[in-house]
Amino acid sequence: MRKYTTIIFLLVFVFGNLFAQETEEQTPEEKDKPVRSPFESGYLIDNQTSFIPTAKTLEYVIQHKFGSIGNGKSDLWGIYAPGANIRIGLNYVVAKNMQIGWGIAKKNKYNDFNAKWTILEQTRKNTIPVAVTLYGNFAIDGRPLSAFESGKVQRAFQTDASYDYKFSDRISYFSQLIVGRKFCDRFTMQTAVSFTHFNSVAMGMDHDKIGLHLNGRIKVSPQGSVVFNYDAPLKIKSISEQVEWYNHPEPNLSFGYEISTSTHAFQIYMGNSDGIIPQEIMMNNLNKITKDSFAIGFTITRLWSF
Amino acid sequence: MKTHKNSILVLIIVFAGSVMLSFITKLDKEMGGPWEVPAKYKAMKNTYKDDASLEKVGKMLYIKHCKSCHGGLGEGDGPKAASMKTGFRSLKSAEFQAQSDGVIYYQSFIGRDEMPNFESKVPEEEDRWAIVNYLRTLK
Repeated sequence: MRKYTTIIFLLVFVFGNLFAQETEEQTPEEKDKPVRSPFESGYLIDNQTSFIPTAKTLEYVIQHKFGSIGNGKSDLWGIYAPGANIRIGLNYVVAKNMQIGWGIAKKNKYNDFNAKWTILEQTRKNTIPVAVTLYGNFAIDGRPLSAFESGKVQRAFQTDASYDYKFSDRISYFSQLIVGRKFCDRFTMQTAVSFTHFNSVAMGMDHDKIGLHLNGRIKVSPQGSVVFNYDAPLKIKSISEQVEWYNHPEPNLSFGYEISTSTHAFQIYMGNSDGIIPQEIMMNNLNKITKDSFAIGFTITRLWSF
Repeated sequence: MKTHKNSILVLIIVFAGSVMLSFITKLDKEMGGPWEVPAKYKAMKNTYKDDASLEKVGKMLYIKHCKSCHGGLGEGDGPKAASMKTGFRSLKSAEFQAQSDGVIYYQSFIGRDEMPNFESKVPEEEDRWAIVNYLRTLK
Protein backbone atom coordinates (compact mmCIF):
# COMPACT_ATOMS: atom_id res chain seq x y z
CA MET A 1 0.00 0.00 0.00
CA ARG A 2 2.80 2.35 0.99
CA LYS A 3 4.50 1.53 -2.33
CA TYR A 4 1.44 2.61 -4.36
CA THR A 5 1.07 5.78 -2.29
CA THR A 6 4.72 6.70 -2.93
CA ILE A 7 4.30 6.08 -6.67
CA ILE A 8 1.16 8.24 -6.80
CA PHE A 9 2.94 11.05 -4.91
CA LEU A 10 5.92 10.84 -7.26
CA LEU A 11 3.68 10.88 -10.35
CA VAL A 12 1.72 13.91 -9.07
CA PHE A 13 4.96 15.70 -8.19
CA VAL A 14 6.67 14.96 -11.53
CA PHE A 15 3.65 15.72 -13.75
CA GLY A 16 2.68 18.70 -11.63
CA ASN A 17 6.11 20.16 -12.16
CA LEU A 18 6.09 19.31 -15.84
CA PHE A 19 2.80 21.12 -16.38
CA ALA A 20 3.93 24.01 -14.22
CA GLN A 21 7.09 24.39 -16.31
CA GLU A 22 5.09 24.33 -19.53
CA THR A 23 2.81 27.06 -18.23
CA GLU A 24 5.72 29.20 -17.07
CA GLU A 25 7.54 28.76 -20.37
CA GLN A 26 4.49 29.59 -22.42
CA THR A 27 3.33 32.55 -20.38
CA PRO A 28 5.94 35.16 -21.45
CA GLU A 29 5.45 34.22 -25.10
CA GLU A 30 1.68 34.22 -25.11
CA LYS A 31 0.77 36.83 -22.55
CA ASP A 32 -1.10 39.67 -24.19
CA LYS A 33 -1.29 42.62 -21.81
CA PRO A 34 -4.26 44.98 -21.46
CA VAL A 35 -4.10 48.21 -23.48
CA ARG A 36 -2.74 51.21 -21.59
CA SER A 37 -5.28 53.64 -20.13
CA PRO A 38 -8.30 53.39 -22.46
CA PHE A 39 -9.75 56.03 -20.12
CA GLU A 40 -8.17 58.20 -17.44
CA SER A 41 -11.07 57.91 -15.02
CA GLY A 42 -13.86 55.53 -14.07
CA TYR A 43 -16.33 58.32 -14.89
CA LEU A 44 -17.07 59.81 -18.26
CA ILE A 45 -19.23 62.86 -17.49
CA ASP A 46 -22.06 60.99 -15.70
CA ASN A 47 -21.52 57.56 -17.20
CA GLN A 48 -19.14 54.77 -16.28
CA THR A 49 -16.05 53.65 -18.18
CA SER A 50 -14.23 50.32 -18.19
CA PHE A 51 -11.43 51.91 -16.14
CA ILE A 52 -11.06 50.61 -12.59
CA PRO A 53 -7.99 51.71 -10.59
CA THR A 54 -5.61 49.16 -9.07
CA ALA A 55 -6.86 47.05 -6.15
CA LYS A 56 -7.10 48.71 -2.73
CA THR A 57 -7.59 52.17 -4.24
CA LEU A 58 -10.14 54.56 -2.80
CA GLU A 59 -11.76 57.00 -5.21
CA TYR A 60 -13.56 60.14 -4.12
CA VAL A 61 -15.86 61.76 -6.66
CA ILE A 62 -17.68 65.07 -6.82
CA GLN A 63 -20.24 65.49 -9.61
CA HIS A 64 -21.95 68.81 -9.99
CA LYS A 65 -24.48 70.24 -12.42
CA PHE A 66 -25.53 73.87 -12.33
CA GLY A 67 -28.91 75.11 -13.51
CA SER A 68 -29.62 75.38 -17.23
CA ILE A 69 -28.10 78.22 -19.20
CA GLY A 70 -31.53 79.29 -20.55
CA ASN A 71 -31.81 82.42 -18.39
CA GLY A 72 -28.53 83.77 -19.68
CA LYS A 73 -26.63 86.38 -17.76
CA SER A 74 -29.49 87.01 -15.28
CA ASP A 75 -28.40 83.94 -13.30
CA LEU A 76 -24.90 83.78 -14.81
CA TRP A 77 -25.82 81.00 -17.25
CA GLY A 78 -27.14 78.72 -14.52
CA ILE A 79 -24.31 79.16 -11.99
CA TYR A 80 -26.57 81.18 -9.66
CA ALA A 81 -29.68 79.14 -10.55
CA PRO A 82 -31.43 77.21 -7.76
CA GLY A 83 -31.77 73.97 -9.76
CA ALA A 84 -28.21 72.74 -9.21
CA ASN A 85 -27.58 69.10 -8.46
CA ILE A 86 -24.56 67.53 -6.78
CA ARG A 87 -23.40 64.02 -5.96
CA ILE A 88 -20.59 63.07 -3.60
CA GLY A 89 -19.38 59.48 -3.79
CA LEU A 90 -16.77 57.05 -2.58
CA ASN A 91 -15.63 53.98 -4.51
CA TYR A 92 -13.26 51.28 -3.35
CA VAL A 93 -11.50 48.72 -5.52
CA VAL A 94 -11.85 45.49 -3.56
CA ALA A 95 -10.03 43.25 -6.06
CA LYS A 96 -8.55 43.55 -9.51
CA ASN A 97 -11.18 45.12 -11.82
CA MET A 98 -13.89 44.93 -9.13
CA GLN A 99 -15.19 48.09 -7.48
CA ILE A 100 -17.95 48.92 -5.03
CA GLY A 101 -19.26 52.38 -4.24
CA TRP A 102 -21.72 54.58 -2.41
CA GLY A 103 -22.89 58.09 -3.09
CA ILE A 104 -25.41 60.74 -2.12
CA ALA A 105 -27.07 63.08 -4.58
CA LYS A 106 -29.02 66.26 -3.92
CA LYS A 107 -31.89 65.67 -6.36
CA ASN A 108 -34.46 63.43 -4.64
CA LYS A 109 -31.92 62.96 -1.82
CA TYR A 110 -30.72 59.76 -3.41
CA ASN A 111 -28.42 57.32 -1.65
CA ASP A 112 -26.94 54.96 -4.23
CA PHE A 113 -24.95 51.78 -3.75
CA ASN A 114 -23.13 50.51 -6.80
CA ALA A 115 -20.72 47.90 -8.10
CA LYS A 116 -18.63 47.71 -11.25
CA TRP A 117 -16.79 44.75 -12.71
CA THR A 118 -14.60 44.91 -15.78
CA ILE A 119 -14.94 41.32 -16.92
CA LEU A 120 -12.64 41.61 -19.93
CA GLU A 121 -9.93 44.11 -20.71
CA GLN A 122 -9.00 44.84 -24.31
CA THR A 123 -5.50 43.54 -25.04
CA ARG A 124 -2.68 45.06 -27.05
CA LYS A 125 -2.42 42.23 -29.57
CA ASN A 126 -6.18 42.01 -29.99
CA THR A 127 -6.50 38.61 -28.34
CA ILE A 128 -9.44 40.33 -26.65
CA PRO A 129 -10.57 43.13 -29.01
CA VAL A 130 -12.94 44.92 -26.61
CA ALA A 131 -13.35 45.70 -22.94
CA VAL A 132 -16.53 44.37 -21.35
CA THR A 133 -17.83 45.91 -18.14
CA LEU A 134 -20.87 45.33 -15.96
CA TYR A 135 -22.22 48.13 -13.80
CA GLY A 136 -25.18 48.01 -11.44
CA ASN A 137 -26.64 50.08 -8.67
CA PHE A 138 -29.69 50.59 -6.51
CA ALA A 139 -30.72 53.95 -5.18
CA ILE A 140 -32.99 55.00 -2.34
CA ASP A 141 -35.12 58.10 -2.75
CA GLY A 142 -34.59 59.85 0.58
CA ARG A 143 -37.24 62.60 0.41
CA PRO A 144 -39.78 62.94 3.22
CA LEU A 145 -43.15 61.21 2.77
CA SER A 146 -44.80 64.57 2.06
CA ALA A 147 -42.91 64.71 -1.24
CA PHE A 148 -45.01 61.83 -2.57
CA GLU A 149 -48.33 63.67 -2.78
CA SER A 150 -50.94 61.76 -0.69
CA GLY A 151 -48.43 59.28 0.65
CA LYS A 152 -50.48 56.55 -1.02
CA VAL A 153 -49.56 54.43 -4.00
CA GLN A 154 -51.56 52.39 -6.46
CA ARG A 155 -50.31 49.10 -7.79
CA ALA A 156 -50.00 48.89 -11.56
CA PHE A 157 -53.29 47.86 -13.19
CA GLN A 158 -55.07 48.11 -9.77
CA THR A 159 -56.55 51.58 -9.72
CA ASP A 160 -59.35 50.71 -7.30
CA ALA A 161 -57.17 50.36 -4.20
CA SER A 162 -54.38 52.42 -2.70
CA TYR A 163 -51.67 51.41 -0.27
CA ASP A 164 -49.36 53.18 2.14
CA TYR A 165 -46.05 54.26 0.65
CA LYS A 166 -43.42 51.74 1.77
CA PHE A 167 -39.66 51.83 1.96
CA SER A 168 -39.43 49.51 -1.07
CA ASP A 169 -41.32 52.11 -3.13
CA ARG A 170 -38.31 54.41 -2.76
CA ILE A 171 -35.93 52.03 -4.47
CA SER A 172 -34.78 52.15 -8.10
CA TYR A 173 -32.27 50.02 -9.98
CA PHE A 174 -29.93 50.52 -12.91
CA SER A 175 -27.85 47.86 -14.64
CA GLN A 176 -25.61 48.30 -17.63
CA LEU A 177 -23.44 46.20 -19.94
CA ILE A 178 -20.66 48.30 -21.46
CA VAL A 179 -18.53 47.28 -24.44
CA GLY A 180 -15.63 49.56 -25.32
CA ARG A 181 -12.62 49.71 -27.56
CA LYS A 182 -9.52 51.86 -27.64
CA PHE A 183 -9.09 52.30 -31.39
CA CYS A 184 -5.80 54.20 -31.18
CA ASP A 185 -3.88 56.27 -28.64
CA ARG A 186 -6.20 59.19 -29.25
CA PHE A 187 -9.62 57.61 -29.58
CA THR A 188 -11.64 55.33 -27.29
CA MET A 189 -15.35 54.65 -27.67
CA GLN A 190 -17.92 52.71 -25.68
CA THR A 191 -21.43 51.49 -26.36
CA ALA A 192 -23.73 50.13 -23.71
CA VAL A 193 -27.18 48.78 -23.12
CA SER A 194 -28.96 49.40 -19.84
CA PHE A 195 -32.07 48.45 -17.93
CA THR A 196 -33.65 50.84 -15.45
CA HIS A 197 -36.40 49.96 -12.99
CA PHE A 198 -38.22 52.15 -10.48
CA ASN A 199 -40.35 50.36 -7.89
CA SER A 200 -42.70 53.32 -7.81
CA VAL A 201 -43.31 56.03 -10.41
CA ALA A 202 -45.70 58.95 -10.92
CA MET A 203 -48.91 58.43 -12.90
CA GLY A 204 -48.32 58.15 -16.62
CA MET A 205 -44.73 56.96 -16.25
CA ASP A 206 -43.20 53.55 -16.95
CA HIS A 207 -41.54 51.42 -14.30
CA ASP A 208 -39.00 49.97 -16.74
CA LYS A 209 -36.81 51.53 -19.38
CA ILE A 210 -34.24 50.03 -21.69
CA GLY A 211 -31.56 52.41 -22.90
CA LEU A 212 -28.66 52.61 -25.31
CA HIS A 213 -25.50 54.57 -24.61
CA LEU A 214 -22.63 55.84 -26.71
CA ASN A 215 -19.67 57.71 -25.30
CA GLY A 216 -15.96 58.21 -25.72
CA ARG A 217 -12.94 60.42 -25.57
CA ILE A 218 -10.62 62.00 -28.09
CA LYS A 219 -7.22 62.71 -26.58
CA VAL A 220 -5.88 66.05 -27.76
CA SER A 221 -2.82 66.39 -25.52
CA PRO A 222 -1.00 64.13 -23.02
CA GLN A 223 -3.31 65.29 -20.23
CA GLY A 224 -6.31 66.66 -22.12
CA SER A 225 -9.21 64.95 -23.89
CA VAL A 226 -12.50 65.93 -25.46
CA VAL A 227 -15.24 63.73 -23.96
CA PHE A 228 -18.75 63.09 -25.23
CA ASN A 229 -21.76 61.06 -24.17
CA TYR A 230 -25.22 60.21 -25.50
CA ASP A 231 -27.87 58.26 -23.58
CA ALA A 232 -31.06 57.21 -25.35
CA PRO A 233 -34.05 55.87 -23.41
CA LEU A 234 -35.89 53.64 -25.88
CA LYS A 235 -39.61 53.72 -26.65
CA ILE A 236 -40.52 50.04 -26.47
CA LYS A 237 -44.25 49.42 -26.40
CA SER A 238 -43.98 45.83 -25.26
CA ILE A 239 -42.48 46.80 -21.89
CA SER A 240 -44.49 50.00 -21.46
CA GLU A 241 -47.58 50.34 -19.28
CA GLN A 242 -48.77 53.37 -21.25
CA VAL A 243 -51.07 53.46 -24.26
CA GLU A 244 -49.45 56.72 -25.31
CA TRP A 245 -46.41 58.47 -23.90
CA TYR A 246 -47.06 62.01 -22.76
CA ASN A 247 -43.79 62.55 -20.96
CA HIS A 248 -41.34 60.03 -22.26
CA PRO A 249 -37.78 60.70 -21.02
CA GLU A 250 -35.57 62.62 -23.42
CA PRO A 251 -32.11 61.57 -24.60
CA ASN A 252 -29.16 63.00 -22.69
CA LEU A 253 -26.40 64.62 -24.72
CA SER A 254 -23.27 65.93 -23.09
CA PHE A 255 -19.80 66.95 -24.16
CA GLY A 256 -16.83 68.44 -22.41
CA TYR A 257 -13.12 68.49 -21.72
CA GLU A 258 -11.11 66.29 -19.38
CA ILE A 259 -7.80 67.09 -17.72
CA SER A 260 -6.11 64.23 -15.90
CA THR A 261 -3.09 63.90 -13.63
CA SER A 262 -1.63 61.05 -11.62
CA THR A 263 -4.38 61.08 -9.02
CA HIS A 264 -7.04 63.45 -10.36
CA ALA A 265 -9.37 63.63 -13.32
CA PHE A 266 -11.30 66.84 -13.89
CA GLN A 267 -14.08 67.00 -16.45
CA ILE A 268 -16.01 70.16 -17.28
CA TYR A 269 -18.95 69.73 -19.60
CA MET A 270 -22.40 70.77 -20.78
CA GLY A 271 -25.36 68.42 -20.77
CA ASN A 272 -29.16 68.58 -21.01
CA SER A 273 -30.08 66.31 -18.09
CA ASP A 274 -30.30 67.62 -14.55
CA GLY A 275 -29.99 64.14 -13.04
CA ILE A 276 -26.66 62.66 -12.02
CA ILE A 277 -27.34 59.04 -11.09
CA PRO A 278 -28.00 56.99 -14.25
CA GLN A 279 -31.55 55.79 -13.50
CA GLU A 280 -32.59 59.39 -12.92
CA ILE A 281 -31.17 60.35 -16.32
CA MET A 282 -32.81 57.40 -18.09
CA MET A 283 -36.25 57.70 -16.47
CA ASN A 284 -36.87 61.29 -15.42
CA ASN A 285 -35.02 63.56 -17.83
CA LEU A 286 -37.65 65.73 -19.52
CA ASN A 287 -35.18 68.36 -20.81
CA LYS A 288 -35.11 68.27 -24.60
CA ILE A 289 -31.86 68.70 -26.46
CA THR A 290 -32.26 72.39 -27.10
CA LYS A 291 -29.76 75.18 -26.53
CA ASP A 292 -31.54 76.52 -23.44
CA SER A 293 -31.74 73.12 -21.71
CA PHE A 294 -28.01 72.63 -21.42
CA ALA A 295 -26.31 73.13 -18.08
CA ILE A 296 -22.67 73.44 -17.13
CA GLY A 297 -21.34 70.61 -14.97
CA PHE A 298 -18.15 69.06 -13.72
CA THR A 299 -16.93 65.71 -12.45
CA ILE A 300 -13.82 65.48 -10.30
CA THR A 301 -12.20 62.27 -9.09
CA ARG A 302 -9.34 61.84 -6.62
CA LEU A 303 -7.54 58.55 -5.97
CA TRP A 304 -5.79 57.26 -2.86
CA SER A 305 -3.88 54.00 -2.94
CA PHE A 306 -3.36 51.82 0.10
CA MET B 1 16.70 114.65 -15.14
CA LYS B 2 15.24 113.77 -11.74
CA THR B 3 12.68 111.43 -13.37
CA HIS B 4 15.51 109.73 -15.27
CA LYS B 5 17.45 109.16 -12.01
CA ASN B 6 14.36 107.77 -10.31
CA SER B 7 13.75 105.32 -13.16
CA ILE B 8 17.33 104.05 -12.92
CA LEU B 9 16.97 103.67 -9.16
CA VAL B 10 13.73 101.69 -9.55
CA LEU B 11 15.35 99.45 -12.15
CA ILE B 12 18.35 98.80 -9.86
CA ILE B 13 16.03 97.94 -6.94
CA VAL B 14 13.90 95.60 -9.06
CA PHE B 15 17.01 93.90 -10.48
CA ALA B 16 18.67 93.52 -7.07
CA GLY B 17 15.40 92.24 -5.57
CA SER B 18 14.98 89.67 -8.33
CA VAL B 19 18.52 88.41 -7.88
CA MET B 20 18.03 88.07 -4.12
CA LEU B 21 14.66 86.35 -4.49
CA SER B 22 16.11 83.82 -6.90
CA PHE B 23 18.64 82.88 -4.22
CA ILE B 24 16.01 82.67 -1.51
CA THR B 25 13.86 80.11 -3.36
CA LYS B 26 16.87 77.88 -3.99
CA LEU B 27 18.43 78.12 -0.55
CA ASP B 28 15.20 77.97 1.44
CA LYS B 29 14.84 74.25 0.93
CA GLU B 30 17.18 71.53 2.06
CA MET B 31 18.00 68.70 -0.26
CA GLY B 32 17.20 65.19 0.96
CA GLY B 33 20.18 63.16 2.20
CA PRO B 34 21.77 60.27 0.32
CA TRP B 35 19.37 57.50 -0.68
CA GLU B 36 19.68 54.15 1.06
CA VAL B 37 18.88 51.83 -1.80
CA PRO B 38 18.56 48.09 -1.03
CA ALA B 39 21.01 45.83 -2.86
CA LYS B 40 18.12 44.16 -4.69
CA TYR B 41 17.34 47.40 -6.51
CA LYS B 42 20.98 48.34 -7.06
CA ALA B 43 21.46 45.07 -8.89
CA MET B 44 18.31 45.40 -10.98
CA LYS B 45 18.79 45.18 -14.72
CA ASN B 46 16.75 47.31 -17.09
CA THR B 47 15.47 44.67 -19.50
CA TYR B 48 13.72 47.34 -21.61
CA LYS B 49 16.78 49.58 -22.01
CA ASP B 50 16.84 49.66 -25.81
CA ASP B 51 13.13 49.23 -26.40
CA ALA B 52 12.34 52.10 -28.77
CA SER B 53 8.63 51.24 -28.72
CA LEU B 54 8.47 52.55 -25.14
CA GLU B 55 9.77 56.07 -25.89
CA LYS B 56 6.31 57.59 -26.26
CA VAL B 57 4.93 55.54 -23.35
CA GLY B 58 7.67 56.79 -21.03
CA LYS B 59 7.09 60.39 -22.03
CA MET B 60 3.30 60.16 -21.59
CA LEU B 61 3.64 58.51 -18.18
CA TYR B 62 6.21 61.10 -17.08
CA ILE B 63 3.81 63.90 -18.05
CA LYS B 64 0.95 62.24 -16.18
CA HIS B 65 2.71 61.22 -12.97
CA CYS B 66 5.92 63.26 -12.59
CA LYS B 67 5.62 66.59 -14.39
CA SER B 68 3.48 68.34 -11.76
CA CYS B 69 6.45 68.29 -9.34
CA HIS B 70 9.55 67.63 -11.43
CA GLY B 71 8.58 70.00 -14.25
CA GLY B 72 8.38 69.44 -17.97
CA LEU B 73 12.16 69.23 -18.37
CA GLY B 74 12.99 67.60 -15.04
CA GLU B 75 14.30 70.77 -13.41
CA GLY B 76 12.10 70.40 -10.33
CA ASP B 77 10.04 73.44 -11.22
CA GLY B 78 6.56 71.89 -11.60
CA PRO B 79 3.57 73.73 -10.07
CA LYS B 80 3.45 71.43 -7.01
CA ALA B 81 7.19 71.72 -6.29
CA ALA B 82 6.74 75.02 -4.46
CA SER B 83 4.65 73.39 -1.74
CA MET B 84 7.27 70.70 -0.97
CA LYS B 85 9.61 71.01 1.99
CA THR B 86 12.46 69.19 0.27
CA GLY B 87 14.43 70.70 -2.59
CA PHE B 88 14.54 69.08 -6.01
CA ARG B 89 17.66 67.89 -7.77
CA SER B 90 17.57 68.40 -11.50
CA LEU B 91 16.90 65.13 -13.30
CA LYS B 92 19.22 66.42 -16.01
CA SER B 93 22.16 66.78 -13.61
CA ALA B 94 25.27 64.65 -13.94
CA GLU B 95 24.78 63.58 -10.30
CA PHE B 96 21.33 62.11 -11.03
CA GLN B 97 22.24 60.63 -14.39
CA ALA B 98 25.36 58.91 -12.94
CA GLN B 99 23.12 56.59 -10.89
CA SER B 100 22.28 53.11 -12.16
CA ASP B 101 18.87 52.35 -13.69
CA GLY B 102 18.02 50.20 -10.66
CA VAL B 103 18.69 53.08 -8.26
CA ILE B 104 16.55 55.44 -10.34
CA TYR B 105 13.82 52.76 -10.38
CA TYR B 106 13.92 52.62 -6.56
CA GLN B 107 13.85 56.41 -6.20
CA SER B 108 11.03 56.75 -8.72
CA PHE B 109 8.64 54.01 -7.64
CA ILE B 110 9.43 53.05 -4.05
CA GLY B 111 10.18 56.59 -2.96
CA ARG B 112 10.72 58.07 0.50
CA ASP B 113 9.40 61.00 2.54
CA GLU B 114 7.83 63.52 0.16
CA MET B 115 8.59 61.42 -2.90
CA PRO B 116 5.51 59.15 -2.87
CA ASN B 117 5.35 55.48 -3.74
CA PHE B 118 4.15 55.02 -7.31
CA GLU B 119 3.94 51.22 -7.42
CA SER B 120 0.14 51.17 -7.49
CA LYS B 121 -0.17 54.09 -9.90
CA VAL B 122 2.31 52.55 -12.35
CA PRO B 123 1.69 48.85 -11.70
CA GLU B 124 3.45 47.38 -14.75
CA GLU B 125 7.20 46.74 -14.79
CA GLU B 126 7.36 47.62 -18.47
CA ASP B 127 5.81 51.03 -17.83
CA ARG B 128 8.15 51.71 -14.91
CA TRP B 129 11.21 51.02 -17.05
CA ALA B 130 9.69 53.15 -19.82
CA ILE B 131 9.76 56.08 -17.36
CA VAL B 132 13.35 55.29 -16.34
CA ASN B 133 14.30 55.25 -20.04
CA TYR B 134 12.59 58.61 -20.52
CA LEU B 135 14.47 60.11 -17.56
CA ARG B 136 17.68 59.10 -19.34
CA THR B 137 16.70 61.22 -22.33
CA LEU B 138 16.49 64.36 -20.17
CA LYS B 139 20.26 64.76 -19.78
